[in-house]
Amino acid sequence: MTCDEAKQHFAEYWSQSLSDADEIELEEHLGGCDACRTEAERLGALWRQLAPPSEEPGPGLRGRFYEMLRGAALRPARSSRPPVWQIAAGIALLVGGGLLGYGLRPKDSELAQLREEVSSMRQLVALSLLQQQSASERLRGVSWAYRVEPSDSEVLQALLNSVNGDPSVNVRLAAVDALHAFGSNVVARKGVLGSLEKQDAPLVQVAILDLLVDLNDRDAEPVLRRLMQNVSTDSGVRQRAQWALEKLQ
Amino acid sequence: MGIGEITVRQTILIGAALAALACAQDAQQDTEKVTMPFSNPSGPHKLVVDALQGSVTVKGYAGQEVVIEYTPGPGRGRGRRTGRNPAEPPPAGMHRIGGNRDLDVTESSNTVTVKTGVFAPVSNVVIQTPADTSVTVKTLAGRSIDIDNVSGEIDANNFSGAVNITNASGAVVAHSMNGKVTASLNRVPPDKMMSFSTFNGDVDVTLPADAKATLKMRDDNGDIFSDFDVKLEAQSPAQATQEKDKNGRTTRRVRVDGAQTGSINGGGPEIQFTTYNGRIMIHKK
Repeated sequence: MTCDEAKQHFAEYWSQSLSDADEIELEEHLGGCDACRTEAERLGALWRQLAPPSEEPGPGLRGRFYEMLRGAALRPARSSRPPVWQIAAGIALLVGGGLLGYGLRPKDSELAQLREEVSSMRQLVALSLLQQQSASERLRGVSWAYRVEPSDSEVLQALLNSVNGDPSVNVRLAAVDALHAFGSNVVARKGVLGSLEKQDAPLVQVAILDLLVDLNDRDAEPVLRRLMQNVSTDSGVRQRAQWALEKLQ
Repeated sequence: MGIGEITVRQTILIGAALAALACAQDAQQDTEKVTMPFSNPSGPHKLVVDALQGSVTVKGYAGQEVVIEYTPGPGRGRGRRTGRNPAEPPPAGMHRIGGNRDLDVTESSNTVTVKTGVFAPVSNVVIQTPADTSVTVKTLAGRSIDIDNVSGEIDANNFSGAVNITNASGAVVAHSMNGKVTASLNRVPPDKMMSFSTFNGDVDVTLPADAKATLKMRDDNGDIFSDFDVKLEAQSPAQATQEKDKNGRTTRRVRVDGAQTGSINGGGPEIQFTTYNGRIMIHKK
């Protein structure tokens, strides 16, 4: 098993949906490859954090809570009018705290890091599912692609590969739909336009024509004209291409 | 001219007949039979059928092996296209034991693959496979794909004829280019996505009455029918887009041709239904 293959199996490994043979192979690989093991541990910890907590409160919690409550009730009440210096100190603390927080802000990148890790996890799941043998799983991979950042070039490339070469027409169709989210990306526009004439399924061609109109892709005109002149193009597709040309003018 | 044509055709026909006679046992019946076991029947197993033409039928059964029956094409194929080497009778005292095959059946890592030959078009391939096999069928110029009683996943693509699936209980992904797609499911797996599509034809799917699913339906030139209580999602205003018309005026367009989404029994995994020229029918079992 190569490092790339191992990474594609991570998500299934954690969700315990990997076959026995693959699990043994993956564990063997992790045993021998430090880089993959480190990555698996890092992302695995995050995976577990994302799962709902299963801890129950301990038996002593209730007792301790009521004890604390009684302690608070027995404490003598303070004077109800705080002195002026206390208010001033409060304001000073508030302003100081705000400034301190603002000053510390650039250093505190934990949130950004977490966000990045979640997005790389989604990328991993999408890429892993798009590689599956089962068409239903690949459809699920396409649905995960909706959850990654539109700037994710790896997922975009995987979607374009699906549009061009997936053996199932239905997966290709779903991948074209998912590309709507990547519309601002030049690679997405070029890739999908290049795929139009190669498609053997008219249903996918119609979906691509709709996508080009949605993206308002004016570079599409010569390709659309060629498609309409091609005698092997389905008449329904030809009509749709005519409609797309009118929309794009 | 006409006479010459007939003579050539007759020669080929006679040659084919002789070849058929030569394979003495085979000639007794119209169909031939091939059996192929899985290397590990208790592990996950898969059947892949890649046919050029003819109809393909796959039936789930209680056995352990894949049993393939088919009608051989007219005459052994060699030379049928090239015209150079029409089927010859075997040398005296010998019979045909192999060579150019009508059907190529292989097994590798628990996947049985059935391919029809290029020059020997077979028709009516009927395959029995253990019911829990995952089944993938692709035909290029096939008549129809029929799949019955399979509990594994089904992936069917027919580039000309219809797809007809009955008694399925795994995830189904099915497409026909110019035919009707019919599927009847005994069960909707809770965490699998499914998809049914055709370009020219109806999509007709029957689901169990208690199926929980989210339906994504797209029909460009036809109507969508169902006897389920489908909770339709309102077309979201986000689908309204602004665009400039020919004269540079800004117009608002609301996509009404886009997909329509709805849920049955509270929603569940997504099932996609797509047709360009046809109706979508979603029946309650």
